[in-house]
Amino acid sequence: MMSSTFDTVANIISETCDIPREKITPDSHAIDDLGIDSLDFLDIAFAIDKAFGIKLPLEQWTAEVNDGKATTEQYFVLKNLCSRIDGLVAAKGAA
Amino acid sequence: MRIEYFQLIDRIVDLDLGGRTIRVDAQVPQQSTIFEGHFPGHPLMPGVLLIEAMAQTSGWLVIAATKFERMPFLAAVKEAKLRSFVVPGQLLSITAKLLHEGSGFAMTRASIAVAGKATCEAELTLRVMPFPDPRLRANMEEMAARIGFPMQALPHG
Repeated sequence: MMSSTFDTVANIISETCDIPREKITPDSHAIDDLGIDSLDFLDIAFAIDKAFGIKLPLEQWTAEVNDGKATTEQYFVLKNLCSRIDGLVAAKGAA
Repeated sequence: MRIEYFQLIDRIVDLDLGGRTIRVDAQVPQQSTIFEGHFPGHPLMPGVLLIEAMAQTSGWLVIAATKFERMPFLAAVKEAKLRSFVVPGQLLSITAKLLHEGSGFAMTRASIAVAGKATCEAELTLRVMPFPDPRLRANMEEMAARIGFPMQALPHG
């Protein structure tokens, strides 16, 4: 499950931001390692939302980071992002 | 159209929240200082203002979809095409479709027709956030009333 989520996300990032696929690993930090800024991340969020049928709660995440309640690593290191996506997909299926 | 004030939309003709589409009219004025400079002897509605008109049309759709609780701001313009000149006095029929309503952003596809002919199109990204100032919201509500924004069409809840 996780690996296929990661593959989908990595392919989206590679295509959306023109980053070589081999540079994208589960430990990559989208902002710090891959240099993706908040505007480019909207294109990624759009593609992820569509691919998984979810709505990444970016506003909530941003507020939590700004308020010091969370770190960017919790949301933007790709393995963590993928696990959030899996959680959102599971929550949608359970609803 | 109050072109010097960047108030480009005259009237909301149709707002379909179920279909996530909007259509508006915008009348390009005959006279404006903008046309004196753009261009002398060959007045044209600037392409950036055509894109702005599509952004404002998309913005009214987002305001409707978010029940007038959020303000959209233009963040990205993609695949913009300006297919033919737009000149003073022409009536723009502008449509937008909401492609995606994300968390804090929206994606739309918008187009402009003049006399039934496809003239411009673009895909737009809007950042969507709470109104940063109550005066802005009050101003947008005044403008909404002026252009026939159907407050009664907003979903309740």
